[in-house]
Amino acid sequence: MSTIIDIPEEKAIQVNNFDFTYAGADEPNLKNITMPIAKNKVTALIGPSGCGKTTLLRAFNRMHDLYPGNTYKGEIIFEGRNILQEKEDMIKLRTQIGMIFQKPTAFPMSIFDNVAYGMRLKGIKNKTELQDRVEKALKDAAIWKETQKRLKHDANGLSGGQQQRLCIARAIAVEPEVLLFDEPTSALDPISTQGIEKLIIELKEKVSILIVTHNMQQAARVSDYTGFMYLGDLIELGKTEELFVTPAEKLTEEYITGKFG
Amino acid sequence: MTHTEKRILVNKLVMILSSLSAAVGIAFLLWILSVLVINGIDAINWNIFIYEGAPPGYEESGLKHALIGQLILIGVSTLIGVPLGILAGAYLSEYGGLKSKLANVIRDISDIMMSAPSIVIGVFVYAMIINRDSFLYDNWFSQNIWSGLSFSPALAGSFSGWAGIIALTIIMVPIILRTTDDMLQLVPTTLREAAFALGAPKYKVILQVVIRGAKTGILTGVLLGVARVSGETAPLLFTSFNDNFLNTDLSEPIASLTVTMFNYATSPYEDWQKLGWAAAFILSMFILGLNILGRLLLHTRKKK
Repeated sequence: MSTIIDIPEEKAIQVNNFDFTYAGADEPNLKNITMPIAKNKVTALIGPSGCGKTTLLRAFNRMHDLYPGNTYKGEIIFEGRNILQEKEDMIKLRTQIGMIFQKPTAFPMSIFDNVAYGMRLKGIKNKTELQDRVEKALKDAAIWKETQKRLKHDANGLSGGQQQRLCIARAIAVEPEVLLFDEPTSALDPISTQGIEKLIIELKEKVSILIVTHNMQQAARVSDYTGFMYLGDLIELGKTEELFVTPAEKLTEEYITGKFG
Repeated sequence: MTHTEKRILVNKLVMILSSLSAAVGIAFLLWILSVLVINGIDAINWNIFIYEGAPPGYEESGLKHALIGQLILIGVSTLIGVPLGILAGAYLSEYGGLKSKLANVIRDISDIMMSAPSIVIGVFVYAMIINRDSFLYDNWFSQNIWSGLSFSPALAGSFSGWAGIIALTIIMVPIILRTTDDMLQLVPTTLREAAFALGAPKYKVILQVVIRGAKTGILTGVLLGVARVSGETAPLLFTSFNDNFLNTDLSEPIASLTVTMFNYATSPYEDWQKLGWAAAFILSMFILGLNILGRLLLHTRKKK
């Protein structure tokens, strides 16, 4: 039993009857998920711990492939192709669908090299082009002011919130179509959190965003659509303002009113 | 005696015994160091760095040949051993992982190699490279299989710097391999995932992100490995052998501080014994320095 609304906007991704099973699990950890992800909108996934929201998120850039034995079933349609197919090129897919992790993941190199990393992987070697695009990415991630004078410094010298912005800059520098955020503010203080949330709302002009959060208020603040997951099922997907005010499913209502989870 | 009194007595006894044991250990260390420093400083002068070996009684005799030989031996085996050890460690941590049987077998073997007597490795290199014929027996295996296994026929028949370098490298690799393996496993998984998520192929993730993230730890392992082989005598005794004069040709026998020290210290001539002290002092300071550097690096890493 689930309620998935149809969205009027163009879709960035369409998930159809998607099952996911972790290596060694007896039954699927994600069951028959069908959902659209709207283009240039923010879609949030909420639900109690262990409900599978991060598992679902990590399927979109095939992160699960890094560990042997995990299996996908069904379809995730992106740019007209099913990205779950064997022949999918992981490297291309991951430059089109970027990811921001729970903890900041600044690489052990300079701020400049961090942001340039993805572009260099794509084969961009021209110095002026790299410089221009690093600057643009840092500006877009609202961290240019703090970093412009110390681009050559070690990225690990930045604060947690700054590092998370740096990671966002690094991800958007390769101009992806979709950005996946995996609880991006759970390791940050309230002020940094506010900054990242503002940034997410600004970024949707350029990319489609899917964000996993354990914080319902955050989902309400930043997202256009919200999906509620429970025990591997997508229970409900709706417009954020509707889902939080008039949920269609009883389980959703119980969760958002704090009866469990 | 009441129960409490007995407990207090035993308590004191154990404390005194363990403190004494610790003191004995430290006393020996200080004794060795002070004898070394007193005799070493007394023996050191500029001549040591200027002159090569000379017959006993000559003023112009020094350790230049052994110092340079030692640096060449250590330098070249470091150049070969470090990339080998780091790449093998990267294999264990990044391609094998903790669950892989093959990786665990390699881990166990290198742990055994680390504690293997270094003279055994010297004998091995001697048998495999320098004097293979004396190890060929009159049976099918020896004549057909064993005789076909060799590092390089060009090195056979004579002691050489290369043979010494091979022995030192064999000792060094397991140390670097295991530290690299351990240090790479401390790099958070999310850092690897973040690099993969940007579309990096696995070899770039390993070489550009993971190894870089563990660089201080790996450097510590390298320093400890270099320090370990710097003090080795046994594997050099019958591989690189010795030379009383300066030689930089690695296909010839080459002098090392350790073997020179052994020869001079066991000689009956007082001036040679003095040179032995000087060699011991210089070598110990070098190894002490490497160890301190390694510890400092590890310390700064922890503070981060």
